[in-house]
Amino acid sequence: MVDIEKIEKRTVQYFYSDGLTEIAVGLIFLLLGGYFFGQTLVPEGSPFNAALSALFVLVIVSAGFLVNRFIRFFKRRITYARTGYVAYKKKEHGPKRRVAAGIVGGIIGASLAALYGLSPSFKALFPALNGLLLAVAVLLIAIKVGLVRFYVLAAASAVIGFAVTAAGVGDVKGISLYYGLFGAAVTLSGLASLVVYLRKSARADRENPDAV
Amino acid sequence: MPSDLRGLADIDRLIHEPARLALAAILSVVESADFLYLQRETGLTKGNLSSHLAKLEEAGYIAIEKTYRGRIPLTLVRLTDAGAAAYRAYRARFKKFLEKTG
Repeated sequence: MVDIEKIEKRTVQYFYSDGLTEIAVGLIFLLLGGYFFGQTLVPEGSPFNAALSALFVLVIVSAGFLVNRFIRFFKRRITYARTGYVAYKKKEHGPKRRVAAGIVGGIIGASLAALYGLSPSFKALFPALNGLLLAVAVLLIAIKVGLVRFYVLAAASAVIGFAVTAAGVGDVKGISLYYGLFGAAVTLSGLASLVVYLRKSARADRENPDAV
Repeated sequence: MPSDLRGLADIDRLIHEPARLALAAILSVVESADFLYLQRETGLTKGNLSSHLAKLEEAGYIAIEKTYRGRIPLTLVRLTDAGAAAYRAYRARFKKFLEKTG
């Protein structure tokens, strides 16, 4: 008998089967780690430090752009030729959902700002908070796609965040260390998935095109 | 006919066939998929897959688009609105039948 649910789930998981998304996201986290580490190297209040801070938005925007490019480029060369092309449905979020997301984001941002205003020592908790927020985000993906390695990555994010905070390396250095370690974990997870994927899948013979 | 089985008799036989059911299940969660992906996932031969796709296309359940990615021919398959509705109805009916018969 055909297990419909299993087939549907496997199709959703296919997007992550080659590990390319994790590699791209992991590299972005490593880049972020490098960016924050760069901030610790220049003296606070210096023009170079101000320039680095101003560059943050550019780093984030270009990172998002590069992730998409990276994934598309390598999927075309590696995945589609081996195991086929799948276009996923683009979710169109309604205005209610967008407003809800904005409110949640606003509350989180305002809470962080308020806590920081109340106590500058709160900065020391940034790595743990970052770890928790990303753990929740990765956990949501894990629940949606049902891949065990994402549950592991969610746990790793929380553990790394708390470990870096407990180590007391400081706020910006701590954030840098958190992104460096978590980025490495995500990249390694992606590379391992890619190796498994490449071993499992042979390149399809595209010289004899399909015919319907 | 027992009432339990009556629900099954009304089931869409075009989708009920295992290979076509697998195809509909795959296409129900994506925008479109190419021939290679469908072939690998269903384990069908090219000829068999073509035959099943032709039946689904004839019924208006899927749309097939032949295109190129660079110089590589690409056959894209997507579920039509009618196909999506038929698959949803099949799924609901079959689930109901399984619940009734335990």
